[in-house]
Amino acid sequence: MSHSPLPAQAAAEPAGLAARAAARIAEHPTIALTGILAILVLVTGFVEPNYLSVSGARNTLLQAAPLGILAGAQTILMLTGGIDLSVTMIATGSAYVAANQSPEGAAIAILLGIVVGLVVGSANGVGVSVFRVNPLIMTLAMSGILLGLFTAWAQTILQGSTQMGPFIKLIGGGSFFGNRIPYSVVVWALIAGGLIWLLRRTGWGRLIYAIGDNEIAVRLAGVRVWQVRITAYIVAGVLGSISGILLGGRTGAVDLQLANAFLLPSVAAAVIGGTSIFGGVGGYAGTILGALILSVLNSMLTFLNVGQAIQQVVYGTIVLALAWGYAGLTRRA
Amino acid sequence: MMTAVRSASTAVWRAGLTRNTWTLGVWLLLSALLIWYATLIPVFGQFQITSISKNSLPLVYLAIGQAIIVIAGGIDLSLGALLLLTNALAARLMDDQPFAMVLFIAIFLIAGLGILNALVGYIISVSGVPDIVVTLATGYIWSGFALWILPSPGGGTAPEFRWLFTGAQSGIGGTYIMPILMMAAPAILVFLLSRHTRIGLSIYAIGSDSIAARLAGLDVRRAKVSSYAIGGAMAALAGLATVALTGTGDPRFSVGANATLNSVAAVVLGGVALVGGTGLVLGAVAAGVILIMLNPILSAVGIDPNNAQIIQGLLIAGVMMVGGLVTLLRERSA
Amino acid sequence: MSKSQPLLATDKVAKSYGPVVALREVEFAVRRGEVHALLGANGAGKSTLVKILAGVHPADAGVVQVEGQAMQFHDPVDAMAVGIGTVFQDPALIPDLTVGQNLQLSEIEESDFTSWLEWFDLQDLDLDALVRELPLETLRVVDLARALARDPQVLLLDEITAALTADQAERVFALLNEWRKQDRAAVLITHRLAEVRRICDRATILRDGRNVALFEPNSAASAASGASTGTMQDIDEHELVEAMLGADVSELEESDEPQPTSQPQSDPSTSSQEVAFAVQGLNSGGLVRDISFDLRRGEILGLVALEGQGQERLFSLLSGDRQPSEGNILVAGSQRRWRAPSDAVADGVVLIPGDRLLTLLPNLSVRQNLVVPLFSRIRQWLRIPADERQRVMNAIDRLSIDTRAASQVRRLSGGNQQKVAIGRWLVAGFRTLLCFDPTRGIDVQTKLEIYTLLRELAAGGAAILLYTSELAEIQLVCDRVLIMHDGRIVDEQNAAHATEASLLTAAHGLEVPV
Repeated sequence: MSHSPLPAQAAAEPAGLAARAAARIAEHPTIALTGILAILVLVTGFVEPNYLSVSGARNTLLQAAPLGILAGAQTILMLTGGIDLSVTMIATGSAYVAANQSPEGAAIAILLGIVVGLVVGSANGVGVSVFRVNPLIMTLAMSGILLGLFTAWAQTILQGSTQMGPFIKLIGGGSFFGNRIPYSVVVWALIAGGLIWLLRRTGWGRLIYAIGDNEIAVRLAGVRVWQVRITAYIVAGVLGSISGILLGGRTGAVDLQLANAFLLPSVAAAVIGGTSIFGGVGGYAGTILGALILSVLNSMLTFLNVGQAIQQVVYGTIVLALAWGYAGLTRRA
Repeated sequence: MMTAVRSASTAVWRAGLTRNTWTLGVWLLLSALLIWYATLIPVFGQFQITSISKNSLPLVYLAIGQAIIVIAGGIDLSLGALLLLTNALAARLMDDQPFAMVLFIAIFLIAGLGILNALVGYIISVSGVPDIVVTLATGYIWSGFALWILPSPGGGTAPEFRWLFTGAQSGIGGTYIMPILMMAAPAILVFLLSRHTRIGLSIYAIGSDSIAARLAGLDVRRAKVSSYAIGGAMAALAGLATVALTGTGDPRFSVGANATLNSVAAVVLGGVALVGGTGLVLGAVAAGVILIMLNPILSAVGIDPNNAQIIQGLLIAGVMMVGGLVTLLRERSA
Repeated sequence: MSKSQPLLATDKVAKSYGPVVALREVEFAVRRGEVHALLGANGAGKSTLVKILAGVHPADAGVVQVEGQAMQFHDPVDAMAVGIGTVFQDPALIPDLTVGQNLQLSEIEESDFTSWLEWFDLQDLDLDALVRELPLETLRVVDLARALARDPQVLLLDEITAALTADQAERVFALLNEWRKQDRAAVLITHRLAEVRRICDRATILRDGRNVALFEPNSAASAASGASTGTMQDIDEHELVEAMLGADVSELEESDEPQPTSQPQSDPSTSSQEVAFAVQGLNSGGLVRDISFDLRRGEILGLVALEGQGQERLFSLLSGDRQPSEGNILVAGSQRRWRAPSDAVADGVVLIPGDRLLTLLPNLSVRQNLVVPLFSRIRQWLRIPADERQRVMNAIDRLSIDTRAASQVRRLSGGNQQKVAIGRWLVAGFRTLLCFDPTRGIDVQTKLEIYTLLRELAAGGAAILLYTSELAEIQLVCDRVLIMHDGRIVDEQNAAHATEASLLTAAHGLEVPV
């Protein structure tokens, strides 16, 4: 008996070229996504020839890095069958704390900013896994609590600087190698490497996929599922913090609307990247492409000068079309 | 004979109470908050009642729509965007029109958005893409259209139309009869529809057990599409109420996003479980009013209204945690 | 009315679920004025055939005919419209609505429904009661009464008597006799052969998705006389059993020589093997009552029970999924208090659940499925054991899992899925194995492989508790067997002498004649 990697039916059927291509895309969605990304880049270059340059790429990556990291948080949670609607408030709060503590030095500012993600992520995790609150509701409530807390604190204990320190500004918005490579992309690359390693090469990653696919089975296999869930929310919280600090560094000053607009794109990037909202299916490689696609799309629509209205319509249509495409492919396979 | 009848009817009442404890609890909480609020401020009268009821209208409408969709086992993250779309269309179309024309436009919008969202429900049902993803995407699309129709805040409506929702042609002061009527009429209508008609019961059925519903001979897709149609129509009503309240249109994306999230919060607080099949529309109505009332109450007790966000969040998370704990303990003891 | 035209029939109906073939070219015909038994072992395809006849699933090939007309059912409602009334194994009632609301949904007049309730002596049923709060036997009657209120021409009853009281079952039989007189038809799926003999006129027998026999005892005579009982009474039950088990039994017996490799050998009374796992006085919620037994290393202890005797609850107690209200669980002599399955697994006590939906990660690969228990401790999270691949390959080889569809376990056949469920514990290691009906709905070849594996594991020192619904397995695989009835252990037999008859008798709570 041969150990061919192909599914039994596909091997048996005299599959047509189209069907075989569809099956291949269903197994490796990154192929199709890379194609879409390439087309989008070319179209954008056609619209604005200057885009196909180092500085064009740099600007897109600068936009994509914080989104990609937020979407990483969303990817991990979606793989477990969860979601985090508070991740942008975590980002905003962390940036706020980091800006406030910037006079104390970059290290303390960044560290305290990340503490916000740790604490909030743990609270989300306890609510979802121990008290079994629906993740949508838990993180939605958390988002409201954070908004209220930071609005109040902005006038009291967090009064003072809303300017990021120079080091954070450099990391968030600066570039090196002759102003070609943004520091934030290096941070993103490190995080991406870490996440892909965690998800593919560690037991924790195996469990993240497993509880998203069938939580009961994992419980019966002797795993304490709540431990996995809590750590997933903590990792998501920390990713939210890092993303917020980078975003704050890019804009320089921080306000309570800082990361607001990234909530839906963070989910959309993961969905476009092929991660199922029901859990168990997907990965961070797809999400990276999803974040890049959304960022290039953003640039293209900005160049086209169509205005925010059309931009939102196109955004929504693309998310819907890709999600529908996936559903069709996976159902056939 | 008499006693037999009485005991039978008390049994029905008792079953009704135990089954709808949550809904009842939310209404009791609302009454308690109202009484508390009345004692907190020096003068409590028509003005306060009018203000609370009219300000609650958009959220209550959205909560009713969201409740129906959640009962059917779905969730609609585009309701706030549909509110924006109606708000923009109404402010645009109704500006400087006579009342009759304005009414016609209103009815047209309610029907139109009902059909539009029915289409979304159909897409969900055909594509197999999760509700949350489809409505996330359509939410973008609708708020984009809203912004396209009304690029910046503006537009207007007929004074009579404002009176219809707020009880005053200027939108300020006026009688509380109109806003309460406008809240109660759709709420009771949708409630009766959901509990006493075949289509309403089939919405409960597909949320409770869609396989059993199909085996029992129900048209699962039709029930799903109907729930989305009702959700769309209620979102349109919310958009119209917003125009009447503010006298103008405001297409900001964040307004819609917050409205969606609040509608989900109201539904869950109101006792409609996100898994579907349980809860009453009326619970979501009371929860919607409570969420709006927190603001004036907090300012009356001298708490910064910014803290309303915190209290609201703690309330939702706390109530859900207690609910989760109760089911956990019940499972343990079974 | 013409009897030549069957009321409901299939012509070469076939159905597969993914790679699992449930039905192949099945012929089935029900005439007016007959009660027709549809029989077969577990996994023979009875329920699938019912679902096709009832319009739940479309057939992959073949036709369903009603009075000679080919039908296209897209939904159950289409089948209802042409007079097919079905009562499924799981009541098709909405749990969160009241009985009355369920009727309203189905557009049924209350009076039509309540008159049928009276037939079943349930006229006191409160129509305002929530379905969720009613006991299963009531729900099955409600479901049946609703189907009858639609005034169907043919009734499909899937295991209707399983959850009913004896009294209610009698009323169902009376109804079927009435049905026959009215020249309508009924299809009865049941495991109770006495019922078949008593009430049915003909019997179609399926095995592995194929027709294997049609019992047709001189139908003309009795139908003409309008007899009030079926004509199957002249058939010997053993003939039916033979037809149902057919090659299964003989294949198993023939294959005895090379395998299972190590036949049950130990005489339990003289065994001095140490006790690996024991329970004392276990009680839980009235479903499990005062259960005690010892399980020794190297032993396979069988457990036999009819449906719904508390065996599911017993296994969830033994695997740490629930805590008993009373009683002790001892592992290697020391008492354990488990709060979750993870505690049991840590003690080497592992479960293979009956429902594969409870054990598999359907969208993940065979490898991902096999390795889950390797990471049950936090300290195991940040690495993957260097020999992970090797262990996975060993398990795959030992179980000869067909890995052609290894990228998603849901695409594997039922037998291969079960192997994956077992393989997980070969990879992780264990001392006590709890198997809940591991061979249900699995092909003969895989069954044999699983028996062999269980004997090998026992020979290697494992202690195994095997609940099975296939009584023939007991003699083949087990050393001793416990029989459970109504929550209690009512009998213990030496597996070597446990015939299907003696097991069934004991499982009914009856005294086994010595």
